[in-house]
Amino acid sequence: MVNVEDLRKEAKRILKEEKVKYVIGYERGQNGLMPKPAFIKDPDDVDRLIWDPTCIHNLAKFLVDEKKRKARDKKPDERPVGIVVKGCDSRAIVVLLQEKYIDREDVHIIGISCENNGVIDEKKVTKKLKGKRAESIELDEKGNFAITAQGETVKVPADELLADRCLECRANYPVIYDLLLGDKKKKNIDAPFKSLEKMESLSSKEKWAFWDEQLTKCIRCYACRSACPMCYCDECVVDTINFAVTADTTASEKAGKIKWVEKSPVPSENFVYHMVRAMHLAGRCIDCGECERVCPMNIPLRFLNKKLEKEAKELFGYDAGFDPDEPSLVSSFKDEDPEDFIR
Amino acid sequence: MDKILLKKAFPQWVKKLQSYRLYAPKKDGDIWTYETVTTPEEIDLEFLTTALSPKKIIFPQREIYFAFEKGEENKPDIQESLPADDPAIVFGVRPCDAKALTLTDLVFGGDFEDAYYWKRRKQTYLVGLSCNTPPSTNCFCLSVNASPHSAEGLDIFLTDLGDKYYVQSMTKNGNKLLDLAKGLFAQPKPGDKKDLKNIQAESENKIKRQIKDLKKIPPKLKGMWDSAFWDEEAMSCLRCGICTYMCPTCHCFDINDEVLSSFPLKGQRVRTWDTCQFPDFTMHSSGHNPRPDKASRLRQRIMHKFQYFVEKYANYQCTGCGRCITNCPVGIDIIQVLDKVRDYGS
Repeated sequence: MVNVEDLRKEAKRILKEEKVKYVIGYERGQNGLMPKPAFIKDPDDVDRLIWDPTCIHNLAKFLVDEKKRKARDKKPDERPVGIVVKGCDSRAIVVLLQEKYIDREDVHIIGISCENNGVIDEKKVTKKLKGKRAESIELDEKGNFAITAQGETVKVPADELLADRCLECRANYPVIYDLLLGDKKKKNIDAPFKSLEKMESLSSKEKWAFWDEQLTKCIRCYACRSACPMCYCDECVVDTINFAVTADTTASEKAGKIKWVEKSPVPSENFVYHMVRAMHLAGRCIDCGECERVCPMNIPLRFLNKKLEKEAKELFGYDAGFDPDEPSLVSSFKDEDPEDFIR
Repeated sequence: MDKILLKKAFPQWVKKLQSYRLYAPKKDGDIWTYETVTTPEEIDLEFLTTALSPKKIIFPQREIYFAFEKGEENKPDIQESLPADDPAIVFGVRPCDAKALTLTDLVFGGDFEDAYYWKRRKQTYLVGLSCNTPPSTNCFCLSVNASPHSAEGLDIFLTDLGDKYYVQSMTKNGNKLLDLAKGLFAQPKPGDKKDLKNIQAESENKIKRQIKDLKKIPPKLKGMWDSAFWDEEAMSCLRCGICTYMCPTCHCFDINDEVLSSFPLKGQRVRTWDTCQFPDFTMHSSGHNPRPDKASRLRQRIMHKFQYFVEKYANYQCTGCGRCITNCPVGIDIIQVLDKVRDYGS
């Protein structure tokens, strides 16, 4: 596992040399095991930074925030922000670069390799500990997680606690970085879309029943949208209000705004919301799994995005988030692109 | 009225109540939710904090106010749709969630009585369960005038005494529900009362989290409107609605017309939950948004719960259930925020 001191050293250096405005990383949350995003401005605060298998959040979302904040600022600080990224998070940055949402000079990337492993799924840990509260989780040299809970340490094979997306990760090291910590080594994944197999074997009727049950649970808190680094639109079709309204917008323009989705959390509207989100992420989702992690109703949203990731791969040979210079899937075409799906 | 009910007799009691719509906590994968049940076997009272509180039954996320259509001579034809007469019993209501309903009662029963809320409230009977062990590691009810063994807002309160429940009926409706199965309930013995007292005292000791000196916080908040504190605290906020939608006391809503057909015009006016955490919550039709950023929205959540509500109703608008802490995707912890408010600038 990467030594956290190396991370702190780099953060301290770029803050001290005033190369960055601040560094986005992870710090221990006050309550319990899970960390929270940290925004470090003072070089003397870098000891707050942590790195361990609980560092699950995709912090690239905060680059979207930073861009919006900067746009509002009359005299913005033009320096980049520092950010700590894992492999998946770095791929989110690649997509933001591809789509020209951010520029490379906006960001100083401290990449950390997950080195053969990944991050934990908090729900799996909770289940494993049966109510006990974990104090720390570390990876030992044999690839087991050592969980300390109430003074006792138990060893659990990594695969039992890794987040589902880590089990199918195709590059568990950063693909873009200013500094890389750790080695670019990874486990071979025989079946990168294994989690879809069961779902794909179901009949249309069974799939419908599954999603009807799952999406009926949705309370439309929009946490999936909020956590997604690719959901950066100023205005989303599911919002009832047009954010592009200005003082000059006429009443008839406002009244003419089409309401695509009702606010009611009923199956039809929930389906539209989740379908819109899934389609808008086709060829863009880098499978950080944040949508599914944050869902308070435990809806398995990753299935939707993973399926579209597979479609992009099989139809167009496209892998999202690997090459910032490659045109994005949905805004480009190649002569050899298949068109047999157009009916 | 205090009684004793053997656990093995609990299903028989439930059977006597089957003319009511029954709700109880049910496990769905990794989460607990209140769902309708039809048999006593479906009721499991060994549950952890539910995803949503029973607020969702009294103040559902979607409420139809009325249906409208273009009637004869182009006159609007409006049919109000108050909730039907359909009395319900909710089993396993936690003290914090019951207290929360006494707070939403203040809001929906103030200068204007909300007919939809009260229609459901008055025909929903609450059977509470004492938290002998905190159902969440983030419980902090003792800090906010609530308690793991308070019966406030409940009709019947059960305390688990091992193989039996100590049953307290708090209201006439509670008495009515006990009377339906008179033979099942026994008089408590002095030993039972002693056990109850012990369990209650122990349950308080098991709550690990607290907000210290909460009394100092409302006056402190009053001077923090323009503070840079909110910008710092809200840096990690994702602007989702989890904290407020999961909150048993949050009660904000939006009203929309859902048009089912344009020609002929037909539709429904619908109330749905809304939250101060969404940017469009305060968006004016001019395009101006008085709460333009995450900082102002986090400030609103904290101020409403620990300052405005305190000023208006002399109570905190928080009952310490811990849901907003447990579910926040980025670990924003209301206890930590309030601790920082208290110590800010000192």
